[in-house]
Amino acid sequence: MLGWPRRLPALLLIGLLLPCAIVVIFTAAMNLQETDHYAAIVQSGNPSGVDSISSGQQLSGQSSTLRHTVEIRRPTGPPRVITTLKDASGEFVTVACSTCHTTRPPNHQNKSVRELDEFHSGMAFSHGTVSCLSCHNSEDYDSLKLADGAPVEFTSVMTLCGQCHGPQLKDYQHGAHGGMNGYWDLTRGPQQKNNCVDCHDPHSPQFPHMKPVFKPRDRFLEQSGTEH
Amino acid sequence: MANSRTDAVRSYPGFLWWGLGQATNGGLSFYVWMFVLTAISLVGANAWAHQVAEGMILTNMTDHVSWGLYIANFTFCVGLAAGGVMMVIPAYLYDDEDMHKVVIIGEAVAIAAIVMCTLSVMVDLGRPDRFWHLIPVIGRVNWPVSMLTWDVIVLNGYLLINLHIVGYLLYMRYLGRKPNPRWYVPFVFLSILWAISIHTVTAFLYCGLGGRPFWNTALLAPRFLASAFVSGPAFIILVMRILRITTGYSAPPGPARTLIQIIRVSMTINLIMLASELFTLFYTGGAHSASAKYLFFGSHGHFGLVPWIWTAIVCNLVGTALFFMPNALERGSIRIVACVLCIVGIWIEKGMGLIIPGFIPSTLHEIVEYTPSLVEWKVTAGIWAFGFLLLTVLLKLIATVFASEKSGTALERVSE
Amino acid sequence: MTPHKTTNGQDPNESANRRSAEPLLPILEAPSTRRTVLKTVGAALGLAAFGEALSPLMVVPENMSIDEFLQQHYKELSDDDKQRIFSRLEAETKERFGAEVKIVDPKPIPGVRFGYAINVSKCNGNGKCMEACNRENNHHRGVDQSYIRVLEMSKGSMDMEHGSTTFDHTVPQDDKFYMPVQCQQCDNPPCVSACPIEATWKEDDGIVVVDYNWCIGCRYCEAACPYHARRFNWEPPEIPAGEVNPNQGYLSNRIRPQGAMEKCHFCLHRTREGRAPACQEACPTGARVFGDLNDPDSDINYVLKNKRVFVLKEELGTKPSFFYYFDS
Ligand code: SF4
Ligand code: SF4
Repeated sequence: MLGWPRRLPALLLIGLLLPCAIVVIFTAAMNLQETDHYAAIVQSGNPSGVDSISSGQQLSGQSSTLRHTVEIRRPTGPPRVITTLKDASGEFVTVACSTCHTTRPPNHQNKSVRELDEFHSGMAFSHGTVSCLSCHNSEDYDSLKLADGAPVEFTSVMTLCGQCHGPQLKDYQHGAHGGMNGYWDLTRGPQQKNNCVDCHDPHSPQFPHMKPVFKPRDRFLEQSGTEH
Repeated sequence: MANSRTDAVRSYPGFLWWGLGQATNGGLSFYVWMFVLTAISLVGANAWAHQVAEGMILTNMTDHVSWGLYIANFTFCVGLAAGGVMMVIPAYLYDDEDMHKVVIIGEAVAIAAIVMCTLSVMVDLGRPDRFWHLIPVIGRVNWPVSMLTWDVIVLNGYLLINLHIVGYLLYMRYLGRKPNPRWYVPFVFLSILWAISIHTVTAFLYCGLGGRPFWNTALLAPRFLASAFVSGPAFIILVMRILRITTGYSAPPGPARTLIQIIRVSMTINLIMLASELFTLFYTGGAHSASAKYLFFGSHGHFGLVPWIWTAIVCNLVGTALFFMPNALERGSIRIVACVLCIVGIWIEKGMGLIIPGFIPSTLHEIVEYTPSLVEWKVTAGIWAFGFLLLTVLLKLIATVFASEKSGTALERVSE
Repeated sequence: MTPHKTTNGQDPNESANRRSAEPLLPILEAPSTRRTVLKTVGAALGLAAFGEALSPLMVVPENMSIDEFLQQHYKELSDDDKQRIFSRLEAETKERFGAEVKIVDPKPIPGVRFGYAINVSKCNGNGKCMEACNRENNHHRGVDQSYIRVLEMSKGSMDMEHGSTTFDHTVPQDDKFYMPVQCQQCDNPPCVSACPIEATWKEDDGIVVVDYNWCIGCRYCEAACPYHARRFNWEPPEIPAGEVNPNQGYLSNRIRPQGAMEKCHFCLHRTREGRAPACQEACPTGARVFGDLNDPDSDINYVLKNKRVFVLKEELGTKPSFFYYFDS
């Protein structure tokens, strides 16, 4: 019994340190087991780029696996303008853009909606410094045109947008723009994606403002506690 | 007398049964006391039953403040249990004769406190019916990684050790035999280590969480120990005073003085650590101090905990000052007031002042405040009442055994 | 023992003194006295009162079968056990919610590790992901529970202290950006280390799941998670029969029992079948990118390699599988 007082500090230390030591050992052990996926990512190969949106083909890396398609929703075609006339069945008559535009001279300088009239008056336009005829084809108003003057169909609008918005197109091709529905794993099922004009009005492409739709109501949030 | 008794009942269960009978004997005021405690326990049990049946929705805890009064109270009770060791150390390590006579009171307090801890955890569970999942072998415990598993193990271990020590010593006395040191001294030393580790592990429970900056400090475990060595001895001093008033048993003045010396040192250390903690938090500022700012001064228009913590600070400071008055060493009301103040101060400091602000602001820095619901208060009161019930029975049993062995003087040296 | 002691109203000191002065009688020798009788009566009354106090508990055995009570940990269940349990749960759902559901247990796809990224430049805080989560995962409708919270952050600061989740105005605001937070499926998950009974663990594809029938509801994991990703079932969930999603995973979106913990599971009942998580499909801005971290050609790896990516609270060492990036 007499020896104990001298050992008191040591005893206390053990009492304190023992749990600590054990915790440390096991924490270390746990850390050793962990895989570091950041490292794995850096080592892995290059992205194959555009391939991932190519449809129905077999990729070299996964030779025997059939890949399902990425279905990109397409615009229906050249827009039709609704007139005030009705046809026999009571529907409004629609006309193609070219119906009017073939008879009018194009104004290559116009960059402002103020100078537009008839169907186009009141249109919102906010798309940088491009003019109407940067994209609309003055040779054939039922199609669009690329920067080099080559015509492009309304249904292929992404090619047109992609000329200027290359980074977005690249992101899009890699699933990092535009969102998706369906399967992340194309070996198991198809994917559906929007095209540019599904989300962006080409004349005013900024994504629209929204009202938040949903808010979890955590307990007591309304009564005693609120957030700042 | 003793001989005829040893002939009659030799078995340990028999002794326990006899003890229960003795422990429930008493005067009218004793019965009133027991009746009131039972009634409060029943109110608590009923509130808990409702909570289990209808869901934890009856508490005011939320996904933001996911631990509340129960765990706060748990933390305090662990300290209480660990504090009993401050009688064991002088008695066994320093062979303090007088302390030896009353050390069993500390052990009884430890037992009652551990039972309160276990109950506090129990009522905090969303699925108490699955409690068996925590039992090694039949359940599936995440040992050694989870600090909570450690805590469950060390708490139950501490309970068993103390039950063994107290039970063995009393039984030997009851049989009129001399306790064999081989059978309890090793356990006493184990219990010293264990008492320190229950509180260390309980502190690790909180300070191991990196996502909670307010808890994530190396000072937490030492602070827990220091405050435990205040609240434990203070509580024991109160118990001895109550014993003196109700049973007339008057302990030698030495142990209480030793305890007060211990309190003086521990409380000073506790306050120094608190101060250095606060310095680091407030001088550095930044995200780490968000909880402390909310706790002490309120933030973003929320002041829920401000009255609590300042009450605690005032209680602690005044209590400490009183303990340092020279006549705190004499019998009198000063030390009693000081004990009560320190107990209240530490209860708040470790509960509403430590557990709750760890959750406010939340990990996404949302401020959702917390005040315990009526159900929580009822259950907590029930746990305390049950703890007192248990403590009363234990002390009664101890007094009876001691008194019956040697009539006249009551509590006596337990060993040697 | 003298009978008058039972009913005395004396000074306690006096009675105590006398008690210690006279030797106490062992109970076996004591005749049946008034005190013994009173004690017995008292004990009986006490027990009765105890039973009465705990009577609300009677609903528990009514609602729980022995099978459920004794159910083992998920990892110890055989396929037969699982089938039995799934049918039991389906029947319970039918009875309680009036909905026909199918519970399945898809396993991780070998070699796949899931990652998720959010484009903070795109996210506009509209909250459709939270709504989709609520619907997909059979969340309690009473509190519009969701695993996702969207923070509105001030431009110029990454400090969540300056963020808010309760914004209710047109979004996006010019001086704000938006940051949804959900379970980060940490590679070093503090929640898993915390759980005392292994009720929550990390699966091979990186998803941290909870066995809702093993969790005891101690909420230690909720305290341990640095991302406020965990949700506790404070009360039994309520979902109108017509809104119950019938395609349920045992470890994911089946209706959770009261008193258990739950969390985002990357819609494993969908993603392990190759489908996109519900929140990704619901996002109108295309801010969410999901995929296989082990596949070098996956969308998620494109983001990690080509964008400036960050994770939340990286200093905590949790190693999230959830990433954020800006593209302008
Ligand atoms: S985010 Fe939270 S719940 Fe999710 S794995 Fe990490 S610690 Fe666990
Ligand atoms: S609440 Fe459930 S999952 Fe979380 S730590 Fe406790 S037992 Fe584990």
